[in-house]
Amino acid sequence: MEQKKKGMTLIAKQKAAGWAFLTPATLMIAVMSFYPMIRAFILSLQTGKGTNYRFTGFSNYARMFQDRVFIRSVGNTFFYLAIQVPIMLVLAILLAQLLNNKDLRFKGLFRTCVFLPCATSLVSYAIIFRFLFAQDGLVNNALVKLGILSQGYNFLGTAWSAKMVIIIALVWRWTGYNMVFYLAGLQNIEYSVYEAAKIDGANGWKTFWGITVPLLKPTIIMTFIMSINGTLQLFDESVNLTNGGPANSTITMSHYIYNTCFLRAPNFGYGSAMAFFVFIIVAVLAFINLKVGDTRD
Amino acid sequence: MKKKLFSVLLAGTMVLSLAACGSGGSDEGGSGGDSGSDEGGSSGGDKLVVWTWDPAFNIPAIEEAGKIYKDTVNDKFELEVVETLSDDCETKLQTCAESGDFGTMPDIVLMQDNSYQKFVSFYPEAFSDLTDSGIDFSQFAEGKLSYSTVDGKNYGVPFDNGAVVSCYRTDILKEAGYTIADITDIDWDKFIEIGKVVKEKTGKYMLSGQANSQDIVMMMLQSAGASLFNEDGTPNLVGNDPLNECIDIYQKMVKEGIFYEVNEWDEYVSSITNEQCAGTINGNWIMATIMGMEDTAGMWEITNMPKLVKTADATNYSNNGGSSWYVTSNCKNTELAFDFLAKTFAGSEDLYSNILPTTGAIGTWGPAGESEAYQAPQAFWNDQPIYSTIVEYAEKTPTNNTSAYYYDVREVISTAIQDIMTGGNADDILEQAQADAEFYYQ
Repeated sequence: MEQKKKGMTLIAKQKAAGWAFLTPATLMIAVMSFYPMIRAFILSLQTGKGTNYRFTGFSNYARMFQDRVFIRSVGNTFFYLAIQVPIMLVLAILLAQLLNNKDLRFKGLFRTCVFLPCATSLVSYAIIFRFLFAQDGLVNNALVKLGILSQGYNFLGTAWSAKMVIIIALVWRWTGYNMVFYLAGLQNIEYSVYEAAKIDGANGWKTFWGITVPLLKPTIIMTFIMSINGTLQLFDESVNLTNGGPANSTITMSHYIYNTCFLRAPNFGYGSAMAFFVFIIVAVLAFINLKVGDTRD
Repeated sequence: MKKKLFSVLLAGTMVLSLAACGSGGSDEGGSGGDSGSDEGGSSGGDKLVVWTWDPAFNIPAIEEAGKIYKDTVNDKFELEVVETLSDDCETKLQTCAESGDFGTMPDIVLMQDNSYQKFVSFYPEAFSDLTDSGIDFSQFAEGKLSYSTVDGKNYGVPFDNGAVVSCYRTDILKEAGYTIADITDIDWDKFIEIGKVVKEKTGKYMLSGQANSQDIVMMMLQSAGASLFNEDGTPNLVGNDPLNECIDIYQKMVKEGIFYEVNEWDEYVSSITNEQCAGTINGNWIMATIMGMEDTAGMWEITNMPKLVKTADATNYSNNGGSSWYVTSNCKNTELAFDFLAKTFAGSEDLYSNILPTTGAIGTWGPAGESEAYQAPQAFWNDQPIYSTIVEYAEKTPTNNTSAYYYDVREVISTAIQDIMTGGNADDILEQAQADAEFYYQ
């Protein structure tokens, strides 16, 4: 009886403290993230001209599958995903392996160099790539001077090369970022494991596949999910590098959503519906990835 | 240990000091982008905030108007011009209207004529009605006023007209054996013929333009009174003979190597300034850019544009762009804004003759065209009296149908043309384009 009068028990106190610490963050996430998400979902069920919205059920979602440009943008985004993410992650892991070499000199310098692109702003690097690959840009000038081309090639005006330029830009920008995660992962692998492998007669290739990759698995899965997520939401490169062109051949989903809401005759309801579609794809892919990568059988 | 502590402190100071200037600093990525110009309309008083975009053209014009108003009417008057790209003006306006909060809008905004119909039909609440504001609209050209009039109500004060001019480098033409007279009053067949010779003899393209936002085809269409729209504003892309002819001509020009396709606006500008092209055809506002190339003074001349061959009613005159001033609903001191516009852009001959030599802005206000400044020969343009010529072109320009979905359909047709150029079946692509365009109207 006495104890109850005093107030909460020790455990209750601890619990209360826990809740107190959690509350601010939870509230912030709810207000800043979940509330807009719910509003966006409600908006996605509405259509209307200007600000006079009315509910039209799932018509916006049905509309999506008849929209050629949207389907094209989905195709483009998955094209980037399929080509760019594997190239980038393989490069990142190889670079990490190289830069993790104990005997390498100027390690810090090299690591900084590889990571540096990550410190540039998305917009400015995209614009710089646009200048580089312009018809009278540095790349074309170099190719012409070297006698490989007779006149500048319209890299950004041709569908396949514009896609390639975007992929090159993405690889340049994000490889270093992923490499840092692998480096951190590699440093957690005991050197003695490698020594043991060496004594057993494994060569570099075998060590890589037999030790490095399995032990890095959690990191690989994490970078994979992050890359998928990032690629599906690709926006700046499409807007600033190619402006979606030529003929929508490089437009991404996010870019098209933006156009629908802000550049064209505005249709925020439809834009929200497409944004939700992207959200669902990301969630599903992340879920599959986690399941596949789950080692607890 | 000390070293570590020191570096932590240093990093901390840096983060904090950067955070402090966060409100003015730039935002990474495309999500923010609103920094620096957060100040909205003035809170009354004698100050007006204006958004406009071209430092060689409409910014000096509004600044001059502010100066005139300050000198002649109200010496406490203050004008703040925020340089905001035309696209950004529209995006910001759209964002404000969607959120229902116009607090960040300026008092006066300049807007492209072709965009305005979209905004007024989607967000009529964003603009002030100027019908009874004391501005005399009868002095403006009627065709121009129609862009800013909705249901008989005036919403905008017209600014520049977009009469199309062809500007050519006479020195390049001469090298190929032509004079400006040879490309005046011609049709596109003749133009292509000349273009081939110019390319062969000088290695220069005749024209350049952005492949992803067709200006030249739109100008060709209007020169014959045709457009991408039916009278009721619905898209008209299939079986539109003038359009088919324009696409054919465009395709031919690119294939013959006389039209240089670029991807972005700045590339278009540099194709002119880097002397890759013998000329350009565009709304007369492009002359402000050309006049920036001071070392080519005297080498430029203007003439009218080529006309379509097969289409009836074809003329050598067209229109591209042009803009008007609008008072937003965020303007607290509407009386001042109305008075300012009435006494400058709708009432000051001095303004129009003052801005003419520096910007080349051709007003659509009747009395301005009669001023002497318009008759004067211009040294930059080889002593042609270009301004009276442009006023003459403007009067001969046919009107055509437009729509609130102007830019949407223009984008669809630009995409279609690019698809046709890469070897698709034109009929199928246009059929699909029509479906795409109708899709946006839903």
